Amino acid sequence: MSDVQEATNQLLDVNLDENWRSIQVTGSDPRSESEHLQVTVGATVPTGFEQTAADEVREKLGSSCKISKDRGKIYFDISVESLAQVHCLRSVDNLFVVVKQFKDYQFKETKEEVLKDFEELAGKLPWSDPLKVWKINTSFKKKKTKRKKMNQSSGKEKIDNGQGDKTDEKDDKKGFTNNTLDSHILDYYENPAIREEISTLVGDDLASCKDEKDESSKEETHPEVLKFRVTCNRAGEKHCFSSNEAARDFGGAVQDHFKWKADMTNFDVEVLLNIHDNEIVVGIALTEESLHRRNITHFGPTTLRSTLAYGMLRLCAPQPTDIIVDPMCGTGAIPIEGATEWSNCYHIAGDNNPLAVNRAANNISSLLTKSQIKEGKVSWGLPIDAVQWDICNLPLRTGSVDIIVTDMPFGKRMGSKKRNWNLYPACLQEMSRVCRPGTGRAALLTQDKKCFTKALSGMGHVWRKNKIRKELLGDAKNEDG
Amino acid sequence: MKLLTHNLLSSHVRGVGPRGFPLRLQATEVRINPVEFNPDFVARMIPKVEWAALLEAADTVPKGPIEGYEHDEKFLRQMHHVLLEVDVLEGTLQCPESGRLFPISRGIPNMLLSDEETET
Repeated sequence: MSDVQEATNQLLDVNLDENWRSIQVTGSDPRSESEHLQVTVGATVPTGFEQTAADEVREKLGSSCKISKDRGKIYFDISVESLAQVHCLRSVDNLFVVVKQFKDYQFKETKEEVLKDFEELAGKLPWSDPLKVWKINTSFKKKKTKRKKMNQSSGKEKIDNGQGDKTDEKDDKKGFTNNTLDSHILDYYENPAIREEISTLVGDDLASCKDEKDESSKEETHPEVLKFRVTCNRAGEKHCFSSNEAARDFGGAVQDHFKWKADMTNFDVEVLLNIHDNEIVVGIALTEESLHRRNITHFGPTTLRSTLAYGMLRLCAPQPTDIIVDPMCGTGAIPIEGATEWSNCYHIAGDNNPLAVNRAANNISSLLTKSQIKEGKVSWGLPIDAVQWDICNLPLRTGSVDIIVTDMPFGKRMGSKKRNWNLYPACLQEMSRVCRPGTGRAALLTQDKKCFTKALSGMGHVWRKNKIRKELLGDAKNEDG
Repeated sequence: MKLLTHNLLSSHVRGVGPRGFPLRLQATEVRINPVEFNPDFVARMIPKVEWAALLEAADTVPKGPIEGYEHDEKFLRQMHHVLLEVDVLEGTLQCPESGRLFPISRGIPNMLLSDEETET
């Protein structure tokens, strides 16, 4: 375990309940309460990048984070006014507002008793503030539902979302409507201030049968009948129940309590029940689909999550005017994330496959179009370029590159283990040649640990391993040297 | 392909080594892409640029960075334009040593060598 991990593990003695109690003591004026509401937000991040994400939160929101033992989750407090900025975070996949956290939940002995406890729990939780946050969050999106239906185009490629998913039992029946992954949703997650072309799944059916006047007047009356679902993630060896059962029984009680309607695919409210050993967190989702596909409109077979790309880039601490190269860019996820977030650096996307380079160029163009919408006037180009080249024979000047960030072929979805054996040493050789001596650095993502370690050991005199982070992103390893 | 990229590219034809730089640029189609001017970026980039290569590629470039260029906005804007806004869509890059031509098409240079060319 790296130093960083050890240090952050020590922060885990967090009692979120204390924060919660102090909120409930505030004044009862409804308007000022919702304006100055402080909430705890949870975010899922690629496992291993909890610290990077925490850094981003501190930098952009000024809040410090607690990193959960449940891998891939961080928690931080914000005031509701900052909600829009939270959606602009680039290292988080999904966001939720915490209803309650139990640091050390006492499970009863039998399944029946445990499930009964869950049922009783539903009615006792402090739902009202989180629901207010959920409502505010939803209102960001409701204002943009005008063109929602027109944006659902057919013929989008299917997304292979297998990379990086947890191996613990996960009851996730999300109706993953992949065909709405056009740039409009992605825009929203980049900048909630954009009003025009957003498409959303939240309350689609609901919004379509009311007009906007109805919505504002309904705020005073009893809330409309919402649709909801419960998603339960359960990890731990000593549980006597399954996540399905927990979701079902907890969900039933939630339904009784609120008189909401249960709907697995077209829901307004997604209640999260996250159980990790003895830690339970109940939350309400603020994002209905992952932020991680945000920049990539043209998918390829091995597209990297944007949040992962961001995390890797951030690990390298890019400095102004750094030349940042991804020599196996695929669809260009990493350089595109780089050009968007570190626009004071210069990014080059390269690949040997003409299809990949074309896709990357298309993604770059799509990005330019989005900037056009944002600014409203001139379409600004970005400091990014694409080249077709061979990683083993990079047509780059020696020592000219400051940072290399890439997702090495895994040998499963692309390439093969045998090819990797020959490819990896040659890659590393070339990468070391083009990297600036002294300050050059690389973040390489690989699944083929054995092959990578062998190749790296042959180059001990060249690469200094500052940090080796063996992170398990599903099955991938990440090295920073 | 931007001229800043051209400044980093070098021919990797076998045996050519550092004599593969700079690649001779022949552009048949060029487009100007406005890019937001960041004077700090340009000023810091100037020391990293191989000036001779830039001179060969673009004829509107002054002979070298003038003294006090960091604060000369006119100069910086000119360099900004040359390095980032000029986009070569179609053309060729030629290895100065071996003569090998690399095509640029739709803004993307194809630097792949054939199998024979990469053999030792």
